[in-house]
Amino acid sequence: MLPKFSYIRPDKLDQAVAQIQAGNAAIHAGGTDLLGCLRERIIKSEKIVSISGLEKLRGVRETVEGGLRIGALTTITGMAEDPLVRKKYPGLAMAASEVASPQLRNQGTLGGNLCQKPRCWYYRGEFHCLRKGGNQCYAIEGENQFHAIFGHDNICVITHPSDTAPVLSALGAKVQVIGPGGGRNIAVADLHVPPRDDVRAETVLDQGEIITHVDIPPPPAGLYTSYRKVRARRSWDFALAGAALALVMDGDRVVRASIVFSGAAPVPWRSREAEQALAGNTLSDDTIDKVCRAATAGAKPLRENRYKVPMFRGMLEEELRKARLQEKA
Amino acid sequence: MATRDKIYYTEGLPVPETPDLGTQPAFWKKTDLVGKPIPRVDAYERVSGTAVYPSDILLPNMIYAAILRCPHPHARVKKIDIAEAGKMPGVRAVITGDSKEAKGVKWKYRDMEVPLFDSHCRFEGEVVAAVAADSWYQARDAAQAIKVDYEVLPFVVDYERSLDVSVPRVQEKGNLLSEDTYSRGDVEKGFAEADIVLEQTYHTQCELHTPLELHGCVANWDGDRLTVWESSQGVFAVQSRVAEALNLPLSKVRASGHYMGGGFGSKLWPGKYTVISAMLARKAARPVKMLLSREETYLCAGNRPAGTMRIKAGVRKDGTITAIDFDCIGPSGAYPAGGVQLVDWLARDLYLCANVRTRGRDVLINAGPARPFRAPGHPQGAWALEQMIDELAKAIDMDPVQLRLKNVPLKSQAREGTPPYTSTGLRQCLEKGAEKFDWQASLERIRKFNEQNNHLRRGIGMGACLWVAGGGGPPSTVVIKLFRDGSINLNMGASDIGTGTKTIMAQVAAEELGVQPAIIQIENADTATTQYATPSGGSKTVPTEAPTVRNAAIALKQELLAAAAEDMEVPEDELEYIGDEIIWSRDAAKRLRITEVSRLKKRGVMIGTGYRGPNPADKVVNPFAAHFCELEVNILSGEINIIRFLGVHDSGRVMNRMTFDNQVYGGIVMGIGFGLTESRQLDERQTGRLCNKNWHDYKLPTAMDVPLEITSLPIELDDPESNNTGAKGLGEPVTIPTAAAIANALCMATGVRFTRAPVSPMEVVRKLSERKEG
Ligand SMILES: Cc1cc2nc3c(=O)[nH]c(=O)nc-3n(C[C@H](O)[C@H](O)[C@H](O)COP(=O)(O)OP(=O)(O)OC[C@H]3O[C@@H](n4cnc5c(N)ncnc54)[C@H](O)[C@@H]3O)c2cc1C
Ligand code: SF4
Repeated sequence: MLPKFSYIRPDKLDQAVAQIQAGNAAIHAGGTDLLGCLRERIIKSEKIVSISGLEKLRGVRETVEGGLRIGALTTITGMAEDPLVRKKYPGLAMAASEVASPQLRNQGTLGGNLCQKPRCWYYRGEFHCLRKGGNQCYAIEGENQFHAIFGHDNICVITHPSDTAPVLSALGAKVQVIGPGGGRNIAVADLHVPPRDDVRAETVLDQGEIITHVDIPPPPAGLYTSYRKVRARRSWDFALAGAALALVMDGDRVVRASIVFSGAAPVPWRSREAEQALAGNTLSDDTIDKVCRAATAGAKPLRENRYKVPMFRGMLEEELRKARLQEKA
Repeated sequence: MATRDKIYYTEGLPVPETPDLGTQPAFWKKTDLVGKPIPRVDAYERVSGTAVYPSDILLPNMIYAAILRCPHPHARVKKIDIAEAGKMPGVRAVITGDSKEAKGVKWKYRDMEVPLFDSHCRFEGEVVAAVAADSWYQARDAAQAIKVDYEVLPFVVDYERSLDVSVPRVQEKGNLLSEDTYSRGDVEKGFAEADIVLEQTYHTQCELHTPLELHGCVANWDGDRLTVWESSQGVFAVQSRVAEALNLPLSKVRASGHYMGGGFGSKLWPGKYTVISAMLARKAARPVKMLLSREETYLCAGNRPAGTMRIKAGVRKDGTITAIDFDCIGPSGAYPAGGVQLVDWLARDLYLCANVRTRGRDVLINAGPARPFRAPGHPQGAWALEQMIDELAKAIDMDPVQLRLKNVPLKSQAREGTPPYTSTGLRQCLEKGAEKFDWQASLERIRKFNEQNNHLRRGIGMGACLWVAGGGGPPSTVVIKLFRDGSINLNMGASDIGTGTKTIMAQVAAEELGVQPAIIQIENADTATTQYATPSGGSKTVPTEAPTVRNAAIALKQELLAAAAEDMEVPEDELEYIGDEIIWSRDAAKRLRITEVSRLKKRGVMIGTGYRGPNPADKVVNPFAAHFCELEVNILSGEINIIRFLGVHDSGRVMNRMTFDNQVYGGIVMGIGFGLTESRQLDERQTGRLCNKNWHDYKLPTAMDVPLEITSLPIELDDPESNNTGAKGLGEPVTIPTAAAIANALCMATGVRFTRAPVSPMEVVRKLSERKEG
């Protein structure tokens, strides 16, 4: 059952910051992840500060440079349906519409989506694993079909659960943060913490820091974005293998490529190998084949998730072919 | 003779017999109401939320219970300390194995008797202690605060290893619970006569029951009389199990459950929780409500056991199946629960074959015991057999529908004396199904589609089945009361488990009595006010209860005719009951409305009692079916998209086309879960504990996983011998060949045989990349 906690819902940002700073408070936005974490005793807080009353943190705005500023409280549905998002970064709208289920998308927010806890079933279950302060990762030797093939260093093998983070990372987005020490911004690509840096943290945010906005730079000419997610069932499920593409095209040539995987690693996984194999080339069959091989060359699959290697390759192949078709059209 | 076959829904239950009715009423040639797509009589209550399910019961002073369960797959409770829990706010009763009220109270897992609070816990989720408190949360918190010292014991949860010499024993006698064999003819000879012999091993996963309403009850004592409102498929099973455990006369235990939110076999019997609720209610002197959490039901309220099935079969070029050898192993769980029950039945009985041998080994593992799960054994058996039949067809270059058509049995070969079926609609299911599905043309269309050679491949596939039961049978007693205003009360012990039983019974009674179904009020599923009935399961509720209702209506009509004869002063045998009037056959002008019958007016009520007559001697009543499926596979990502499904069912008379189609749709959806998404995952190599105990990790199919196009095609054969309504069971065959049809379609699409269920995208990619590498 839920532990006892106090609940505060300020309507000013500075009050929220002050409240969160005082004591071991947890931030509540839509609550879709937080409530589960409290029930499973993954988050042990006696004080919940809800930021859901901070109306200024809600909504999508175009910046003067032509990029977008998305408030942290914007719902996932709000992002999926926003005309500006759909026009400028269709891949982000695709990712948002692939998150969880309609109910969760209506309630869950962008800030919460970036800060959600992992979905490893040992972690969410009654197993006192490494990430919870125990001394063992159960997934490494255990049932790891849904776990990571990259970046786990055999420490903690979670996959990062967010569908929006890979696209934002590929687009070079930054999160705006405010905290007791003032404001700062952090590239989404640097927001998440690999296990070798700290196995108990998911983000680099300090206690008390709130994400207020996410800023996405203006789309360069020739930008092609997409998000693809393969999962075990077609709704209400996390990625088995997913990919965010942000390609800058010049005719049929790829000038710049960002490729970030979901369902792959403890953090949204940027595949520099695939990017390098792609950049400067046309999307020929040969290139696509090389890119897919490069993408999985460094994979370190576990006992039950070897399938992810061909799945990532296959999924990426399909996505690159789609990109080619799109460019031809 | 209650049933020729010993069927799981009556197993372990004392089954009283009702008297033989003698001659059966004539088969209906034409019906006015039966068969019509009449909306459910309780649709408004169910949809508006006014229907009171056991979960909705609220009594004055009611308190809430929670159970502390063993967190280990195998452990011994050394010491329990309830001091702190007992002092927590709101706590009114705590019971453990040390409590005096627990002494001597037993529980039966099938025929194995154990203490209700057993210090030797053989599966994760076994009961250790129970608490009742003023609120739900207080009860749960107090249960958590109980301190238990466990001696953690070595365990085995992998059933394929449970018979290895070095593994720990689940029960003292060892892990082989039973070994059943069956044989007819000479399989070796059969294989020698075959042109082609194939052998393959198939696996099906453990599937968890997920009824929408959780398992649980409300228990209340009134002096020495106990009332239990339980979410149950059979209130009389609740009554007898609770009475037995608490050593009470049946008359002192009232079990009631008018509405219930799904059971699928897992609520054929009550659970330990039922008895514990009653004990806590007595101790706290308050009504107690106990609803298990979803996590708890996943641990202890049943499952469809996993299975490994090796099948070897021989066929001649002309399509004669010469031999089938079938071997299966599956786990009951930690206690006897039918780990391989009926898994081999289709191999024994679905197709013509002179030489059949089967073996089933039921083994123990340290995991929650199985419970019957919609068509126990059959979807698993179909997964193996129906894929093998397709392989045989391919090997002899015969269309798979044709091969099945060549082997349609008219007799039950696996039963003693090879009794004939009252009807075998299998041929029609296959022929009409192939026609409706456009099987031949679809094959062509799909071959063309796949020649484009892109990453999307299509396939069609089919599977067929019978269901071992579904004929119904005695006992059943139904009472129909006619009130003096002409309205009717239908009093029946059976539960409506969501299938529309009540609606069909109203149609049957209305048909016979010439009234509108709307004036019939049904009172059912209450041991204090209705007659004994076996639990609703085995697809036998309609074929059991509908004939009984009809008999009750006829008995009432006879009473009315006798009474009217006095009023009208003509001989009774010259009177006819037409519509809701009694008419003198010699002069139709002489007539009497039933509400004018003076005996009815004076007494205020007249009663007709019906009994379920026996089934036809030496004949078998089984339903048959075929499912057809079209799907698309993405061979790069492994994703499967089911495009359309057709369910063709011979279940005798269609009693109500709406509820009939509902069953077909629901069964196919459930079969898709079995074939594609659902699978219990235990932490086999480390802790033995359940990994996926929520709805995100345990993957039920969502609306997005189910095709828009599901078609139901009933094959309505006249079956006057089955019973006086001609209806056979439907609720289980609808989910038997579904997964096998998917697997066969997948094989056509990819050229790969998927032997392991469920076929997730992970499995597709795994198998396809094996092929690439191999
Ligand atoms: C069953 C299920 C399935 C799901 N499937 C998917 C999926 O397929 N793909 C996917 O991407 N996600 C999935 N999710 C996650 C879901 O998208 C997130 O739960 C949701 O986006 C979180 O938003 P929220 O506003 O409800 O966050 P909350 O639950 O309120 O918060 C989540 C966490 O983020 C912190 N937080 C919230 N807002 C801020 C902020 N502005 N600054 C700093 N910290 C903050 C909270 O303290 C908390 O730790 C699923 C969730 C569930 C429960
Ligand atoms: S993968 Fe990480 S979260 Fe999961 S058991 Fe291992 S350490 Fe814990």
